[in-house]
Amino acid sequence: MVNSQYPEDILQSLEDYNIDIREFLPGHGKGAKLLLDFNKISGIDQVEGIILKGREIENGIIADIIIKEGTSHEEPIHLCFGVNKQTGIQEIFPRIICEDNASVKVQAHCSFPKADGLIHKMFGHFYIGKNCNFEYSETHYHGEKSGALVAPVAYMYVGENSVFENNFTLTKGTPGKVKIMIDIYAMKNSVIRSTLKAFGKNKEDSIRIRDSVFLEGENARSVIKMKAAARDGGEVLMYGVTEGNAPHCNGHVECNEIVLGKGSICRARPFIRATDPTSSVSHEASLGRFPQKWLDELRAKGLSEQEATDVLIQAMLRD
Amino acid sequence: MLLEIEHVSIPTDDQKRMIIDDVSFGVKEGSIHAIIGPNGSGKSTLAYAIMGIENYIISNGKIKFDGNDISQKSVTERAKLGITLAWQEPARIDGLSVFQYVSLGIKDRKNLKEKVTEALEIVNLEPNLYLNRFIDESLSGGERKRIELAASIAMKPRLIILDEPDSGLDVIIVEDFLNIFNRIKELDMTILLITHREDIGMVADYGTLLWRGTHLLTDEFPKVMLQYCKKAGLKDFCKRALFKNGSKCFDDDYIERIFREEGV
Repeated sequence: MVNSQYPEDILQSLEDYNIDIREFLPGHGKGAKLLLDFNKISGIDQVEGIILKGREIENGIIADIIIKEGTSHEEPIHLCFGVNKQTGIQEIFPRIICEDNASVKVQAHCSFPKADGLIHKMFGHFYIGKNCNFEYSETHYHGEKSGALVAPVAYMYVGENSVFENNFTLTKGTPGKVKIMIDIYAMKNSVIRSTLKAFGKNKEDSIRIRDSVFLEGENARSVIKMKAAARDGGEVLMYGVTEGNAPHCNGHVECNEIVLGKGSICRARPFIRATDPTSSVSHEASLGRFPQKWLDELRAKGLSEQEATDVLIQAMLRD
Repeated sequence: MLLEIEHVSIPTDDQKRMIIDDVSFGVKEGSIHAIIGPNGSGKSTLAYAIMGIENYIISNGKIKFDGNDISQKSVTERAKLGITLAWQEPARIDGLSVFQYVSLGIKDRKNLKEKVTEALEIVNLEPNLYLNRFIDESLSGGERKRIELAASIAMKPRLIILDEPDSGLDVIIVEDFLNIFNRIKELDMTILLITHREDIGMVADYGTLLWRGTHLLTDEFPKVMLQYCKKAGLKDFCKRALFKNGSKCFDDDYIERIFREEGV
């Protein structure tokens, strides 16, 4: 274990997400941990069955995370990629291997509370073996100046009979420019649940997310849920892709986006394709404002239209 | 009167027809006042207009609350004055917990959990089982209605408009709802009960009969009920309804005579 003095600003910046990040600092809590302070590794905790290794490179790190066969932990593996600077480049190359029959959760926090010209890039590879339960949650905070450029790319392979849950959340603060690309390859009998939530709050915020699931194994199943709101000139594009390429596979893409204020734009581009005659792929999308009846119900409880809208956005983007 | 409806008319969207036509009546503070009438008589429309919902604008008349004209006030302003509406089919907002939803209208945020718990208990929902649940598809229609009612009660309004609270509920559950209405009344809240089920109305002190958008009668509930049955030609039903729970309102002979006089 390496003791860590982690920047307080980064810790505090995630409190809005109701996350007590101190629980995840090395020496606290029970889970494995890897903390990055800009491009320096500031703490690593390993636990039985989980190997964490980090190697610093010029603008970031290569992180290897190996969950050994049969490992099961309730406590999440915590990855904190914080930057307490206004500018700079942080590049992360995580390589995650979850061996067969393992059951783990990974909680990643990417917090850049002072970002004003900061670039964060990730290029991740995930390999999930057979019969695994694997949950990956990534929560972002990019400060209040819309000053981050964030571009994560991830390729994920999900083995036979495994359940993979992917959660991405960027709902607090102002996101800045965000481009996310996720490709998930689902093997036989695997189950994929991928949920992405984002909130653009001004004209400097532009969020583009492409989440793709390729159902390559027989009876593989997936649901992509994309939820977004754009306010005061913010722009969100959600691009949900599902391909049914194997017998009896079943996929669904759902996209809900709310547009608030002049100049805001929400776009949804579900792309579905079935190449096997026994597969089934569907999509649904709704864009615009909340149903008037919902607003009226909340206003009848004394909330203003703005307060009612805020409550509904919070509900839609609930962590 | 806590609520006064004075010559209120509400047109259809295309303004070609009146859904509510020159209706006037009053609602006494502390009472349960039922608005009854067959489907399509304009009961829910009137309820939404009293709440100030956008698409239910009155073209004539006034709505007064506590002596003040509130006809031009917004939904939010009316809610802040102490009026609320429990919806016939409340929405399922799946990211909101029951606790968050019920607490939305509570002004004094001190001891919030206590207040929410109390409201849930009034509607016979076990707080420990419901506080952390979400307002989603896992709730039955009856549970959702109770939560809506709890959220209304938690506001401590002076007037709760209940829009067809019985719709889609089993008979056994309806009985439970009647007890809940009486508990709300004990808490010094006035209830305006919109229903087309006369057995639900039996819990009311007063009633107003609407018929094809017009006001026929406002009086003690049994009298309004009798008029409704006469109008609809429901003699046998009238006898059953008015003798329900042993609370004899009119004797058999009286009802026979009234119906005979009406030529029914």
